Amino acid sequence: MTRSAEAALLVTASVVAAFGTALIGFTRGVGLDAQVALTFIVFVSSFGSVHLALRRWAPSANPYLFPLAAFLTAVGITEVYRINPSLGGVQRWSLLLAGLTASAVLFLLRGDGVAALRRYRFLFLTAGVALLLLPLLPDTWPIHGIEANGSRLWVGMDIPGGRELSFQPGELAKIALAVFLASYLADHHLAMGTTRRKIGRLDVPPLGQFGPILLAAGAAFAVLVYQRDLGASLLVFALFVGAIYLATGKLAYLVVGGGLVAIGGIVSYQMFDHVQRRVSAWLDPFADFSDTGYQVAQGLFALGSGSLTGSGVGLGRPDLIPAAATDFIFAAVAEEMGLAGAIAVIAAYALLVAAGFGIALHTRDLFRKFLAASLTLVFAVQSLLIMAGVLRLFPITGITLPFMSYGGTSLLANMTLLALLARISHGART
Amino acid sequence: MNGPIRHLAAAVFAAFAVLVGAVTFLQVIQGPTYRDDARNLRVLTGRAGAERGTIITTDGTLVASSAADPNDPQQFTRSYPEGSAYSHVVGYASIIFGSTGLENSQSAALVSDRDATISGVINAILGGDLRPKGLRLTLLDNVQQAALDALGDQRGAVVAIDPSTGAVLAMVSTPTFAPESLLGVNAGPAGNALEADESEPLRNRAIDATYPPGSTFKIVTAAAALEAGLAGGGTTFPDDEELELPGSSATIRNYSGEVCANGEMVTLTQAFVSSCNTTFGALGMLVGAERLVDTAEAFGFNQPIPFDLTALASVIPNASTFVNDLPGVAQSAIGQRDVQATPLQMALVGAAIANGGEIMEPYLVSQVFNSEGRVESEAEPVVWRRAVSPATAAALEDLMQKAVAAGTGFGAQIEGVTIGGKTGTAEIPDEAPDVWFIGYGPIGAADDTPQIVVAVVVEDGGSLGIDGTGGSVAAPIARAVLEAFLAGPG
Repeated sequence: MTRSAEAALLVTASVVAAFGTALIGFTRGVGLDAQVALTFIVFVSSFGSVHLALRRWAPSANPYLFPLAAFLTAVGITEVYRINPSLGGVQRWSLLLAGLTASAVLFLLRGDGVAALRRYRFLFLTAGVALLLLPLLPDTWPIHGIEANGSRLWVGMDIPGGRELSFQPGELAKIALAVFLASYLADHHLAMGTTRRKIGRLDVPPLGQFGPILLAAGAAFAVLVYQRDLGASLLVFALFVGAIYLATGKLAYLVVGGGLVAIGGIVSYQMFDHVQRRVSAWLDPFADFSDTGYQVAQGLFALGSGSLTGSGVGLGRPDLIPAAATDFIFAAVAEEMGLAGAIAVIAAYALLVAAGFGIALHTRDLFRKFLAASLTLVFAVQSLLIMAGVLRLFPITGITLPFMSYGGTSLLANMTLLALLARISHGART
Repeated sequence: MNGPIRHLAAAVFAAFAVLVGAVTFLQVIQGPTYRDDARNLRVLTGRAGAERGTIITTDGTLVASSAADPNDPQQFTRSYPEGSAYSHVVGYASIIFGSTGLENSQSAALVSDRDATISGVINAILGGDLRPKGLRLTLLDNVQQAALDALGDQRGAVVAIDPSTGAVLAMVSTPTFAPESLLGVNAGPAGNALEADESEPLRNRAIDATYPPGSTFKIVTAAAALEAGLAGGGTTFPDDEELELPGSSATIRNYSGEVCANGEMVTLTQAFVSSCNTTFGALGMLVGAERLVDTAEAFGFNQPIPFDLTALASVIPNASTFVNDLPGVAQSAIGQRDVQATPLQMALVGAAIANGGEIMEPYLVSQVFNSEGRVESEAEPVVWRRAVSPATAAALEDLMQKAVAAGTGFGAQIEGVTIGGKTGTAEIPDEAPDVWFIGYGPIGAADDTPQIVVAVVVEDGGSLGIDGTGGSVAAPIARAVLEAFLAGPG
């Protein structure tokens, strides 16, 4: 596929987004309005700038990544706009900012940029940890943590005019930590991959090599305890364990990681009320329908009401689900676009993840290979966790669905993640 | 280095496959369960806001209509312009408390066909009219209002029927309620209060409550005797203060506690006019359980009444239960013991007498019309059953006329019009009686003159309490209804 085909697909996705906005205009009784044109212009500008940046600085980059992201963003923004038009408006400006950011990343990484990332790995580790812990800043500081829905995963910044700018640093932390891990593992994978003894059929690396995993487990547990953020905690831990397995191929790390998750899960279930609530809502949302189970139950009602072909965009009631625009955006899509739309969305994520792993497989340089694989893994785990939560395969973790959920930080972080993947794919064989 | 990446990728794709399976399971296999769950507000708000058909009375009074929300043409508000006067007949379609009355039984006509069913889609393609149908009822607004006013604060019911067709002219139950208070998603508290109310305002006492019919059941006992040729109007019975019941220490006494006539002999006619319990107890034993039960069943007891609303069946125990129980037969013959009747059933007893012995199927819906007002179907009067022979009917007509002219039913007299009727005071030990009146008129008018049968029941003696009787409490209500009918609409 060529860059021209990519351009055609990006325009098509922009038309889909504009069409979605138009449908909602009709169901709201306002008809075709300036919003439709605005949506189209923002999509074309945002993805157009990325496309031009790719042409200029990474011409042989994988051409599937951004069209798939544009399709998911189009579906997501349509539902966000349907649930709350003012959130949809904000999301549009976030998309513009995210597109420009991705273009800037492609510019910065031109030439030998990716190699520079490897050199500054401890800067990324520090940045990643700092970002994760940022929401713990006291409420009275100019930059401070914000507690919402029982979790402390937002950071607010006072800006002139008495307003507040808020963002979710955890979304950016996952990229910084992936860069650190890829760089660290590129240097240490041999040491971590050596084994001296066997337990049963399992090769066990020296105990000292488990340090990074224990560190990650500690950090993840700290996030869970102090920020009560189940999603970010799991995501960070999955990233560490997964990346170490990618680099070493030693199942022992997965086994130990899985064991730590099990222990952490049991301990946190015993210790924390918020974990218990999530788990009981997951096991039986109808047992406490009016309280803890309400959101999951409303999600199931949305899914059931959607059936095969959905109610039609703008004709369902996804607004009945709490946090429909963020955690439960997938339920909103499934209600209004039906099983057809839901499977299309899952397929798009699977294709994006396939493209990401494909880039990792075809890249020779170890740092880039590990980085591509780690970024793809964290993206896949995030998408899977929240969709599995909506589908009652897993407790609700409160993380965003990449490209679809309402949230500027999430959009910006995932566009940046794709820009990194695209840049790696450009230099795959060098 | 690619092995682990491939393994992880395979695991991730397996997880995506599980998601596809789960979403298919939840949306398609489990979907209908979640979609139709009572707690799923989509269904509720969709149904609550749907357009429902117009309902009018036979004289054109609007009793139910739906108006579109000016801001949202898909959302309709149901209103009942006549307030609580038609609450029990028309009912309501509440998203919380379910549907009752015609809103329930006629919902196939009253709701739009614009659902996603295949037949609806095909109908729409063929240019069919999918809007809800309207109903024209047999009720007369002025008769309905007169019955409601006459019952007033008393608990009871009135059923009025055209005996020649079965058309229900009035059906009122008190206390009543405002049907709008049960609609909408916020109706919970108001509806719960109505459901918990001890006076049971939501119950349609005309069809959904049974009472011992008391002396009104003497029509059935007399009919059984006349049909069997066991007695006539002139047949005499001993006039005692009390009737000793064989095989038991119980006795039957007259309401007054005294003799019925002169203390020696009383004719059947005089006993009917004065509602003598002793005479009818004796007559019941003469007729026997088998004939008494057969006659009651000929009038419609012990079986469902074919009707536009679901009515309770009225009950008389099987004849076999009276073997070796002559006291039970005597007590049943005066409408006590285990005999239970709905006001609708007792109206049909009156209708049988007024219609030469034949009972027409009662009905409420005379026409179904489409959204443009064109009549799509019209009810045809149907004979339900023959209760008694024309001769017996004529004889009972005579007895009922005398009961109003010179007996317990004098409270229903209307100057210049011949009215027939029978009172009933169903005594309950140590409690105020449930009081009855079944009346009809005008008697002896030309064949094409409209007639009306009225059945009235008032619980616990109504405004007179323990002293209330059918003659003093129920008969005046019947008169008010008869007068409204005779005065005509407007």
